[in-house]
Amino acid sequence: MTLLRDIISELVAMFLADFRLSGAILALVLLVAGLIRAAGAEPLIGGGALLAGSLLILVEAAVREARRQRRS
Amino acid sequence: MEITSWGIAAPAVIAAFVASAVEVVEAFTIVLAVGSLRGWRPAVLGTFVALGMLALLTIALGPLLDRVPLHLLQLVVGVLLLLFGMGWLRKAVLRSAGVIPLHDEDAAFAAETEFLAEEARRKHASLDWIAGLAAFKAVLLEGLEVVFIVIAVGAGRGLLWPASLGALAACVAVLAVGMLVHRPLSRVPENTLKFGVGVMLSAFGVFWTGEGLGVEWPGQDLVLIVIAALFLATGVATAALLRRPALVSPR
Repeated sequence: MTLLRDIISELVAMFLADFRLSGAILALVLLVAGLIRAAGAEPLIGGGALLAGSLLILVEAAVREARRQRRS
Repeated sequence: MEITSWGIAAPAVIAAFVASAVEVVEAFTIVLAVGSLRGWRPAVLGTFVALGMLALLTIALGPLLDRVPLHLLQLVVGVLLLLFGMGWLRKAVLRSAGVIPLHDEDAAFAAETEFLAEEARRKHASLDWIAGLAAFKAVLLEGLEVVFIVIAVGAGRGLLWPASLGALAACVAVLAVGMLVHRPLSRVPENTLKFGVGVMLSAFGVFWTGEGLGVEWPGQDLVLIVIAALFLATGVATAALLRRPALVSPR
């Protein structure tokens, strides 16, 4: 049972190590999907938004964690 | 293979090789601790049982992937790669900036050796059994990440075999060096490798997610190099920013 629990927690940690980072990525993908599929935006604009959003999310996640580490 | 296909095949093979090397180094440290403490029988047995389970998992998953429509597969794999790759990249940026400590294979080796001895004392169980189980767990858990990476970078364009060969080459290389030096591979520049892998996996993530949503990238596969360069530049710039505490001081 411990082994199974370890495997499951390892799998969860692989994708959801930082809940805010994971949540922001999923929200971005949903937003871009909505832009392309529902709002009828040019797919390439959606692709650009996906790339720019991912880069911004990366910076925000790293800066937020650095602030948290320095506060503690 | 067409010229454009190399634009994606080469990054897929390199990503699978480097990512697998990082994971195999971590698993090797624990297998080495087991082997040093209790001899190679439990270490090798635990390792081979785990490799057998991983092979079964890969064989079971392979045919299932063929049944998933390509755009859906690209979207699901792309999102998972974004979650996984950006998690790695974030951690590598933080380590590179000195915000969190670097992974230390020598310390991991010492901790595992101490843990095994303590477990045997506490549970009064056979140390061979505990040691074998530790090797099994390490290879299985790190191997799961390798299987995911191979599937993720290979499945979107039918590159599972080249990606698998990249991962296999990494296993052989790490084991060969490990057997030669017979100590934890602490000199491997793990964070630099993780930084590179995080960049490549994040770039693949954006690329596949975009393709899954119907984006036709300019330059097709070659745009992957541009996306990776942007992730690399952003990661390096963020690490440099975080090294200057005044700019990110707590509010």
